[in-house]
Amino acid sequence: MEPTVKPIVSMKDIEKHFGSVIALNGVSVDILPGECHCLLGDNGAGKSTFIKTMSGVHRPTSGEIFFEGRPMSFADPRDAIAAGIATVYQDLAMIPLMSVSRNFFMGNEPIRRIAGLPFFDHDLANRVTMEEMQSMGINLRGPDQAVGTLSGGERQTVAIARAVYFGAKVLILDEPTSALGVRQTSNVLATIDKVRKKGIAVVFITHNVRHAMAVGDRFTVLNRGQTLGTAERGEITPEELQDMMAGGQEMATLEGSLGGTV
Amino acid sequence: MADTPQAVIDERVKDVSPWRKALIRPELGGIIGTVAVFTFFALLAHDSGMFNAQGILNWSTVSAQFMIIAVGACLLMIAGEFDLSVGSMIGFAGMMIAIFGVTLGWPMWIAILVTFAICMAFGALNGVIVVRTGLPSFIVTLATLFILRGFTIFIPQTLERKTIIGGIREAAEGDWLAALFGGTIGRPFFQWLGDAGVIGVFDRGNRAGEPVVNGVPMLIIWAFVLIVFGHILLTRTRFGNWIFAAGGDAQAARYAGVPVDRVKILMFVFTAFCATVFATCQVMEFGSAGADRGLLKEFEAIIAVVIGGALLTGGYGSVIGAALGALIFGVVQQGLFFANVESSLFRVFLGVILLLAVILNTYIRRIITGER
Amino acid sequence: MKFFKTLALAATALTVPFASHAQAIDDDLSYIMVSHAPDSDAWWNTIKNALNLAGEQMGVNVEYRNPPTGDLADMARIIEQAAASGPDGIITTVADYDVLAGPIRSAVDQGIDVIIMNSGTPEQVRELGALMFVGQPEYDAGLAAGQRAKGDGVESFVCVNHKISNPVIADRCRGFADGLGIELGSSMIDSGEDPAEIKNRVMAYLNTNPDTDAILTLGPTSANPTIQAVEEMGLAGDIYFGTFDLGAEIVQAIKDGTIQWGIDQQPFLQAYLPVVVLANYDRYGVLPGNNVNSGPGFVTADNIDKVEELAGEFR
Repeated sequence: MEPTVKPIVSMKDIEKHFGSVIALNGVSVDILPGECHCLLGDNGAGKSTFIKTMSGVHRPTSGEIFFEGRPMSFADPRDAIAAGIATVYQDLAMIPLMSVSRNFFMGNEPIRRIAGLPFFDHDLANRVTMEEMQSMGINLRGPDQAVGTLSGGERQTVAIARAVYFGAKVLILDEPTSALGVRQTSNVLATIDKVRKKGIAVVFITHNVRHAMAVGDRFTVLNRGQTLGTAERGEITPEELQDMMAGGQEMATLEGSLGGTV
Repeated sequence: MADTPQAVIDERVKDVSPWRKALIRPELGGIIGTVAVFTFFALLAHDSGMFNAQGILNWSTVSAQFMIIAVGACLLMIAGEFDLSVGSMIGFAGMMIAIFGVTLGWPMWIAILVTFAICMAFGALNGVIVVRTGLPSFIVTLATLFILRGFTIFIPQTLERKTIIGGIREAAEGDWLAALFGGTIGRPFFQWLGDAGVIGVFDRGNRAGEPVVNGVPMLIIWAFVLIVFGHILLTRTRFGNWIFAAGGDAQAARYAGVPVDRVKILMFVFTAFCATVFATCQVMEFGSAGADRGLLKEFEAIIAVVIGGALLTGGYGSVIGAALGALIFGVVQQGLFFANVESSLFRVFLGVILLLAVILNTYIRRIITGER
Repeated sequence: MKFFKTLALAATALTVPFASHAQAIDDDLSYIMVSHAPDSDAWWNTIKNALNLAGEQMGVNVEYRNPPTGDLADMARIIEQAAASGPDGIITTVADYDVLAGPIRSAVDQGIDVIIMNSGTPEQVRELGALMFVGQPEYDAGLAAGQRAKGDGVESFVCVNHKISNPVIADRCRGFADGLGIELGSSMIDSGEDPAEIKNRVMAYLNTNPDTDAILTLGPTSANPTIQAVEEMGLAGDIYFGTFDLGAEIVQAIKDGTIQWGIDQQPFLQAYLPVVVLANYDRYGVLPGNNVNSGPGFVTADNIDKVEELAGEFR
């Protein structure tokens, strides 16, 4: 790691307990600007708890979070969003019954004053939505098209475009590809690449090593609430990552019997 | 939208016919229903007095009543919640005005303002309990339904030993705030219409020579104001977007930074406000408050909203649609009398309309969300 | 969409055959009765039957309308609507003078003849400009019943009120208490309209107040479950039991000795007479000179046989 690049988010020794359950047991991760940081782990490894801590949903039981070098304490997701940490949840990103433009500006509605009264500026919202969607490569029938008519990949892309448009410095993607087909997955991965090139840090949560290897700059593996270390691109092979995720030995055995197809 | 960038046509997106596009507007069902209902009664009851001045006033007043509570119920339903306490709230609010204004002899404007405050506090309580406990609003407001109805019977029985308190009109004589709820406007205009022979006049009694319709009731004005307010709030403001979001998917809305709890609580308060407007207009017009006022009105409000195209599951609907639903409801209810149809069949008719509306809504929902 | 069209057509077709069920004759008089009773009130069935019978016999159109939930504000709208449809006469009740006075007076001023039945006072009828009143003055009926019970040695009672929101009905209890010469106090219970609830509330009251001499019920709605309650508690025939109005179960209970007397206000007359009076007034200009008291008449085990045959239908 080059010491000259300062991490935008730095999580140090994060612990999170739910009653007697220790979900995170001393996790430390640095996120650099403009990198795609892949967070890998099997189900139950603590990925969800970790990103919810980063995005302000949970408060850590102990440990510190530094954002742009300053210690931060987020009371709720709004604080995190205001600071520039945006999260795109797998199922909870979009509201299917609402139009794309209403979704795009949900919680950040543009205001135009008429006779001193604040009104939703639909013209601006529609225009921006169409522009942003085109720059991400999605052609809408119109800004009033309901999100419910979009495919899963397109919905993820709308959510990502929304976060980027509203000035996210760190974009957390929670399993964005897990329910998608091949074509849609590659679209989402391409979107991630575009976002990274804008200098935004992407935290990409997945349990699919291929997807991670496709766009990741650095890789952190979580297992049983602990980090098994962070590796840079080129320092590690997909097989090694897969092993670390599964906790080593048994997976190697299993993989052997499956002929390296997992 | 001249400056929208021209979208490249994607061959996988099927062209949508104008019919399907119109269908996903929530008002469409209401518009078709309104046209159908008026055609039906124009054919069946055109010579029955339904479309003379008095008849029109009759069904528009009944429709306006439904509209007032439907606007509140509509916004609340879009925000993803129900309020079953609306009917009880109407009885309760009327009774409170009577207790404060007649039994306790307060100036009527204070009685009205205090009643509004109490009822909106109950609305807020409904909302706070729903968002804090996460219980279905159905159950919470069902409890409120009984609590309020119980108070509405208990309080006047304890204080006055009766369950109908009269004398409100006399107590409200000359009161500035009461005049906003009772009474009519546009009287000279209707007098002129009566004199010109356009509308009928009373031909005996101490009102002989006065037109049978002597103005537009404030009830109708309130309905109109609330519809305009509700429609603009829902479609033209940031808060309106939050209402859709809160009902569409509360969790997704929260993650996007929408203050979902606040939106829902405020909608409960607004529903209570609408119920209190209804009650105030009613007691000012009729001059008495009764413990059984407003029975089943909560369902009538919900029915009007559903006929108007809102989804029971929240997140979708329109105030204009709800207002049209209320109009259909009112016109059908009164129109069947005019058409000389056996009145017990009203429910059959209502049930059929409701069923058609719900089926149509489900169909619309599939189109919007692309479910197959 | 074809499916929806078919459904809509079916719905339209369904309602049409039911229109205009009463046959018109040459002068085509039409009268509308507007009651205050909710759909659930069985007592009004007698009224509907008598109304239709009078319509048939007099050769006039009659219609019965009521607010489905018994909401009097809705009833006011129905009277307004009835007036707007321009009938020759309206027969209605004054269940609440404040609420109904406006619509009734408007109808009268519009030139429609109005007869008040069932609920109301002679003063209110005069005030409203109605032609006459046909009914049983409730307080007086209660008073007479109370005096009768006092003569039978009753000193305390419970009044089972299934329609607590109707002050006219409550007058029956007040009159009864005054007839006995005691305070009404907490003797009147709000029983609700559900049979099971009424029964259990009566049982609870009698258990907590075992020294209650008499029960007064205000109609079949409260009487029928109360009959079951006293039978279950083994008090049938032992406790003094009087009721307002009649019905099949009440008649049986009078025969069995469970109920001492039923006060018959003869609802048949309340619906039948106004139609006859209105039709003759419109055709020949004749009108009785006074209000008609349709009750009270006491039905006891001695005169029950005449009543029994037609109970619930015309009695």
